[in-house]
Amino acid sequence: MLRKSRKALAMGVAGLAVLAFTNAPASSQEVKAATKYGDMQTVTQDLLNRAAGDGNNFLHTNGNYQQTRYYPNRQINSGNVSKLRPAWLFQTEVKETMETTPIVVNGIMYITTAFDHVYALDARTGAELWHYKHKMGPITVYCCGPNNRGVAVSGDMVYLGTLDSKLVALDAKTGKIAWQKDIADPELGYSETMAPTAVNGKILIGTNGGEYGVRGFVKAFDAKTGDLLWTFDTTPENSVGKWATHDATGRDMHRDIAAEKAALKKNGDPYKTLGGGVWQNPAVDLDNNRIYFLVGNPSPDLDGSLRPGDNLYTNSLVSVDLDTGKYVCHFQYIAHDVWDLDAVSPAILVDVKNKDGKTIPGVLHAGKTGHVYVHDRKDCSLIRFSEAMVPQENMWVLPTKEGARMLPGANGGVEWSPMAVNEGLSLTYAINLHQPMTYHVESTPYPGGKLWLGGAFKVIPAEEQWGNVTAVDYNTGKIRWQVKTPEPMIGGVLATAGGLVFTGEGNGLFKAYDAETGAVLWKFQAGAGVNAPPASYTVDGKQYIVVAAGGNTQLDYKRGNTIVAFTLAE
Amino acid sequence: MILQIVSRQRSGGTVRRSPIFATITSLALLIAAASGTAEAQDIAEKAKLCATCHGEDGKPKEADTPIIWGQHTGYLYIELRDYKSGLRKNDKMSVIAADLSKEDMMEISQYFSEKPWPRLDTSATDADAAAGERIASAGVCKECHLDGYVGASTVPRISGQSPTYLETTLLDFKTRKRANNPDKSTLLASFSDDDLKTMARYLSGIQSQ
Repeated sequence: MLRKSRKALAMGVAGLAVLAFTNAPASSQEVKAATKYGDMQTVTQDLLNRAAGDGNNFLHTNGNYQQTRYYPNRQINSGNVSKLRPAWLFQTEVKETMETTPIVVNGIMYITTAFDHVYALDARTGAELWHYKHKMGPITVYCCGPNNRGVAVSGDMVYLGTLDSKLVALDAKTGKIAWQKDIADPELGYSETMAPTAVNGKILIGTNGGEYGVRGFVKAFDAKTGDLLWTFDTTPENSVGKWATHDATGRDMHRDIAAEKAALKKNGDPYKTLGGGVWQNPAVDLDNNRIYFLVGNPSPDLDGSLRPGDNLYTNSLVSVDLDTGKYVCHFQYIAHDVWDLDAVSPAILVDVKNKDGKTIPGVLHAGKTGHVYVHDRKDCSLIRFSEAMVPQENMWVLPTKEGARMLPGANGGVEWSPMAVNEGLSLTYAINLHQPMTYHVESTPYPGGKLWLGGAFKVIPAEEQWGNVTAVDYNTGKIRWQVKTPEPMIGGVLATAGGLVFTGEGNGLFKAYDAETGAVLWKFQAGAGVNAPPASYTVDGKQYIVVAAGGNTQLDYKRGNTIVAFTLAE
Repeated sequence: MILQIVSRQRSGGTVRRSPIFATITSLALLIAAASGTAEAQDIAEKAKLCATCHGEDGKPKEADTPIIWGQHTGYLYIELRDYKSGLRKNDKMSVIAADLSKEDMMEISQYFSEKPWPRLDTSATDADAAAGERIASAGVCKECHLDGYVGASTVPRISGQSPTYLETTLLDFKTRKRANNPDKSTLLASFSDDDLKTMARYLSGIQSQ
């Protein structure tokens, strides 16, 4: 998932502003003691399991184990959202890209910033309780900004993945380190920006590195000790697959199978440097003890000549057993991808109608291709794909040295941004980018942990860019409504029982849409790009909507450092 | 102290190196020796040797020598590593890095990263600044070098860097004379030489904190 910002227009040099604090390695941790709201409540597994119906807390990065990002409280609703006002602001000390989802436990909020700071806040007032600054190792390698997408909570601990590829467990009451473990070697291109997932005594985490020739994985660590429990390598030793010539939608990918077979014979299987990052949280099927996650692009992104075969399990939905990490099933969207139109946005578990109209357990994923894919949870097979949410042109023209134009551009479609679902309406809400690009290929050998694209992606400066918010009926694949936005969209979506959909824009606007019609019901100018997934929580009987406004490195949206919590005016 | 160094060429012949080269070589041996002993010199003492070229106050003695004071540990380490492995080549630095251990490289890199970035007397004309900003935006340089082009970890700070060094570096990446970041070369190959020179002047004139 290289996130390519090729914006046509200069964004100004406002950024000459001071960044010294982000520049140097963070100093040792600082912990402040403060009066907290009530007592910190131990996050039990039962609480985590019931998160989808929890009208007080926001316990998972994507709301619940199904990852629907649907908040069940309807105090803020389509009838009164016009009265939504800021309740408090909190400014972090790191003015850089923000992708954090606030996690809220019994009135305590945990947020993260770029360069891996964690704050605990009083969710009623925004008052800081403690602040953890990760002591960053000297080597970090990441493609798309020094992002962090948040923490996981379990028991009395808060868990963080870091840019220098460590898993850190913090005491939830104090922010002090309980333990810290190496996940992988950052010098080889591994880094962490995703939030971990806590489930059944395990901490699950994937890895970045698909732009650096890593061998991707999902790992499970013991939540109490940090011991490694299992590793699922996303690129198996036999990554060749079935020599698929068409993508998931039936389009010819123009592969030169004979040349690939010759390369395979000559160079062997490329699995050791084949990429396959896992950028977002797995969805957890508690009934069947399985997890479902998306595997990103193969390395090098644009040069297929060095990696013959389907490059399993890159660009795939994958399911493994929660206890053992053993393979259960997969579905590959684009075999032997040479466009980086990979699978990044997290999996969502909902019941869906199969081709016979029967309701079955399903899985949703929104691709950079601009389609929402609907799967059978049992075997990962594809039931349907949605109408394209963005223009598609010239698919799948092969990259050339001079550059070949194809839509979507390599950011999508839907980037890492999580969708939200309203199951009552059978709608899933996605945010999309439209960034016309040319795809260039230039073969270079594995550079030992350095950026390895095998070419370049370039935005076409003369062509307009924009974005949209799209509601898709996942039982039919039809677009129900779509609202165009002036800039490409990145961040994430929250749906609520109040008939609302919340998402933000790079221009600083944070908006509420009517879940059924797409009508804009409310908006707020946050002063910096709102490019993080919103969350909601309730304290003292008052519902809040909360979101980070920190801008975005990848798309060069105006940076900020603010968490904004909203509630209804008295 | 080694007064001259003789090295073997590919042809099998020999070549006499210049006195400055000999000095660098001897300094390199001193660094390596000092780093390797239990009674190692204090790192500050060792690092004085680097000041021969990079300056005692952080301002390089020669225009084509980069600022390393205040540069990021990760970047300095990776460059030393690449000099040692031969991925990056420089008559002076390749010799210096040849006998350094990973620990040496980390220690030296950390030492210089903690120094304050020196302000050179550089500025860009308004025309260069406007054109340079446009070119840097087209290259999406801030996606890696971040706001203010201050970099982080393995991505170097490039704002306020020596203009001559920046220009040489950009052009060397383009021609692949500097070969330790192939994708950088692919990106910079899409720019004209004039664009890269303008961008060097623009970036060197930015005085970020």
